[in-house]
Amino acid sequence: MAQPLVKKDDDRDEEADYSPFLGIEKGAVLQEARVFNDPQLDARRCSQVITKLLYLLNQGDSFTKVEATEVFFAVTKLFQSKDNGLRRMVYLIIKDLSPSADEVIIVTSSLMKDMNSRTDMYRANAIRVLCRITDGTLLTQIERYLKQAIVDKNPVVASAALVSGIHLLQTTPEIVKRWSNEVQEAVQSRAALVQFHALALLHQIRQNDRLAVSKLVTSLTKGAVRSPLAQCLLIRYTSQVIRETGVNSQTGDRPFYDYLESCLRHKAEMVIFEAAKAITELSNVTTRELTPAITVLQLLLSSSKPVLRFAAVRTLNKVAMTHPMAVTNCNIDMESLISDQNRSIATLAITTLLKTGNESSVDRLMKQITNFMSDIADEFKIVVVEAIRSLCLKFPLKYRSLMNFLSNILREEGGFEYKKAIVDSVVLLIRDIPDAKESGLLHLCEFIEDCEFTYLSTQILHFLGNEGPKTSDPSKYIRYIYNRVILENATVRASAVSTLAKFGALVDSLKPRIFILLRRCLFDNDDEVRDRATLYLNSLGDGSVAETDKDVKEFLFGSLDIPLTNMETTLRNYAQNPTEEPFDINSVPREVKSLPLVEKKAPGKKPTPLGPPPPAPTSASDAYERLLSSIPEFANFGKLFKSSVPVELTEAETEYAVNVVKHIFDHYVVFQYNCTNTIPEQLLENVTVIVDASEAEEFSEVGVKPLKSLPYDTPAQTFVAFERPEGTPAVGKFSNTLRFTVKEVDTSTGEAEDDGVEDEYQLEDFEVVAADYILKVGVSNFRNAWESMDPDTERIDEYGLGPRESLVEAVNAVISLLGLQPCEGTETVPNNSRSHACLLSGVYIGNAKVLVRLSFGMDSSKEVAMKLAVRSDDVNVSEAIHEIVASG
Amino acid sequence: MLLAVLIANSEGNILVERFNGVPAEERLHWRSFLVKLGVDNLRGVKNEELLVANHKSVYIVYTVLGDVSIFVVGKDEYDELALSEAIFVITSALKDVCGKPPTERLFLDKYGKICLCLDEIVWKGLLENTDKDRIKRLIRLKPPTDF
Repeated sequence: MAQPLVKKDDDRDEEADYSPFLGIEKGAVLQEARVFNDPQLDARRCSQVITKLLYLLNQGDSFTKVEATEVFFAVTKLFQSKDNGLRRMVYLIIKDLSPSADEVIIVTSSLMKDMNSRTDMYRANAIRVLCRITDGTLLTQIERYLKQAIVDKNPVVASAALVSGIHLLQTTPEIVKRWSNEVQEAVQSRAALVQFHALALLHQIRQNDRLAVSKLVTSLTKGAVRSPLAQCLLIRYTSQVIRETGVNSQTGDRPFYDYLESCLRHKAEMVIFEAAKAITELSNVTTRELTPAITVLQLLLSSSKPVLRFAAVRTLNKVAMTHPMAVTNCNIDMESLISDQNRSIATLAITTLLKTGNESSVDRLMKQITNFMSDIADEFKIVVVEAIRSLCLKFPLKYRSLMNFLSNILREEGGFEYKKAIVDSVVLLIRDIPDAKESGLLHLCEFIEDCEFTYLSTQILHFLGNEGPKTSDPSKYIRYIYNRVILENATVRASAVSTLAKFGALVDSLKPRIFILLRRCLFDNDDEVRDRATLYLNSLGDGSVAETDKDVKEFLFGSLDIPLTNMETTLRNYAQNPTEEPFDINSVPREVKSLPLVEKKAPGKKPTPLGPPPPAPTSASDAYERLLSSIPEFANFGKLFKSSVPVELTEAETEYAVNVVKHIFDHYVVFQYNCTNTIPEQLLENVTVIVDASEAEEFSEVGVKPLKSLPYDTPAQTFVAFERPEGTPAVGKFSNTLRFTVKEVDTSTGEAEDDGVEDEYQLEDFEVVAADYILKVGVSNFRNAWESMDPDTERIDEYGLGPRESLVEAVNAVISLLGLQPCEGTETVPNNSRSHACLLSGVYIGNAKVLVRLSFGMDSSKEVAMKLAVRSDDVNVSEAIHEIVASG
Repeated sequence: MLLAVLIANSEGNILVERFNGVPAEERLHWRSFLVKLGVDNLRGVKNEELLVANHKSVYIVYTVLGDVSIFVVGKDEYDELALSEAIFVITSALKDVCGKPPTERLFLDKYGKICLCLDEIVWKGLLENTDKDRIKRLIRLKPPTDF
């Protein structure tokens, strides 16, 4: 008896594993779909076939056009069946098949019939299907029914129409906007979901009408909103209204704040959180306003639901960036979250704590983090490392424990990005905290003893070469460096040789011993390593204890003050056009190319790690240089110093689109007018720009290069050249008129008439300003660069910038006036700050390096004062910079 | 916008996916990203215990129910709390249709009904129905009881 029983169990197990769709095949299912054509429909069987079709579609199978059409036509037959289950399936499969416009017509009559059916559920579903597959023309036909449906007493019908409205608003807004009366009525509906959908639609219809949104919010915040979802929407719309109205200047009250605050006591957590979040995001929020919201978020931190904990800690993390003190009350709760099972929550808790913690809590915090680090993924670790880096810069006295922490995690397992984040942090701390230097360098030395990443090893060796020789006992690093020569791959060995040579060049007492080590490298089996060793041995002197020549040091280790990308493109060009002439490093342009503005994508459409890499920046100035040097008239103008970004001289969508690029040479200025003819019926010939330079006295016109012909939609250039006194930053205003001969074009044949008419077209004026004579060239370490410049060239002065809306505005104005490159991210001004320091660097015409330190301060009446300190290769340039600011 | 609802089996094979407003070329990335997220984090998680993650302004809430893992992805107004509401509706509808936390087999047996439920819950990226009893009636084309 036992035997069959066991067998039966086995059978059942097999059955449980067996998928009803096992071996499903598209061809077979399409065959099966023929049952839809049976005169006697078997509803059950038809439903099963539709399920299979749905499964195929969901698995990513796609139907060919013919297959889809065939299935779609067959499905439409099923409207004959009165079986509810099957009808529901039919609605779904029609939506999923998304028929093409010419097929839609087959079902519209059936769907229109259903839309007027007495069965509510037919109406609701038919609306959804129709709105999914319809286009604008059909919509006008069914608009009347949709309006009725919005106020239908059956909430499902009303919701279907409202949600359809939300979707249709994207494609045919003019029609949906006509429904606002009905939608308004639906907002008052007693059914919770109808109200939610109606509110969303009404807001979308009126979102550009501030007054209407404000009215909507005013009336609803007083009345009863039924569902938590709708309440959340209302809170969002309310904060939008608050943002736009601002604080009442007399009473200091914020409109609707009381409403937000009352929502903190709502029974739905969703609403509580939304209100708390809205309060924390108010602009210029005061501590008094923040407190109740923070209290609520603190309670959510200990919720049993991970989603709530996550939401709360994420919001507090944001608050901590602007109001760290307000969050400190939650520190204890957040500390307990460090051990949260959800790593996202734990990481957010830690980074928040690192922002809010005070100096005394650092050590305790570090201990907790150490335990936590071992069981999180690299991406979270990187976030923590970055937070620790900023903490260390905030509390430099605590560098010891933070540096220890970094060195400990450096020894543990981890991927490249993680290790790189740690190494970057250590390097930054060494640079900014002098006391941390020696211990930091030793940690890095230990790390390269067992480092699997070539990139990091070479980076550290380079850094060691710069910093090591300046320490009290440089000799202790040599062992680590020479070990690399023995143990590592060729790339690292070559770096190690360079680092050794740097020690030799900078520390005279070590030189003889370094020479011994370098001589050993002559027998390396890699060319690069041997070449480097030979170069250093031959150029650093004879190996005796003697100071290395300054020129040699500059030649071997001086910074290459040319952007590497520019160097690369120039070398590529050089290699492509074989020539007898040796490569001239002075031909490499020095301008830093700003990255093209990346178009703002809809936030979060994709997570970054999954996205494709951004396109490589293209080089505009190389193209300009080639273009200009190819024009004989401008060939003897010398080296191009700078080309401006294009300045538009016409409004958008005019007949002729013209912009100008200002090319600055030492002695000349060339204006390149980029012209586009946007009229298909016209051909322009002999196109020139007549420039009136009466408001630019120092400039005199020396040449014009007209444009022979400008056909429709083919951009081309005409040029005008001016001479100006050499080296001076002459400024002035230029008025422009486009002059040309216009010929009619027969668009059918593309042929132009023989005779043309002369015509003119007025363009906008533009100016040559001081910033045109300054190149944006960044420096990697501003402090070092500043200190290496002669202090005698420094010029300091103070300026009043008058009342300003915010410091951001003042800082941006000065940066754009000077046209210098902001360094080390100092162009970003924290919100609401009253003082700010900004570092700028660049090259002034005549190749003089310029560094600028700006300190801004703002008093209670919003008056901004600025201190400007300049150092430069040339005192006159320092003074010129002050002149620019004084006259700007 | 509710960008995606995705249901996978315990081995990471997709059973149902519904994307809204996600370009076709990005769907593959999302699919593998979510499945990996599940593999990394869902082992040993109790039925319906919610996990949450975010990347910039995109939120992901996910959980297990029986043999299947469920992921919902949203942005803007569909933040983690709205998503947890949506996933709650989905799990309760699933349990309702299957009678218990489903095995993969049971899930596939009820595949058609589940598709209908999802169709009622999320409509082109917007949450439409949130009450499981109402959904149960709607998928059989029965009007809701509460009107």
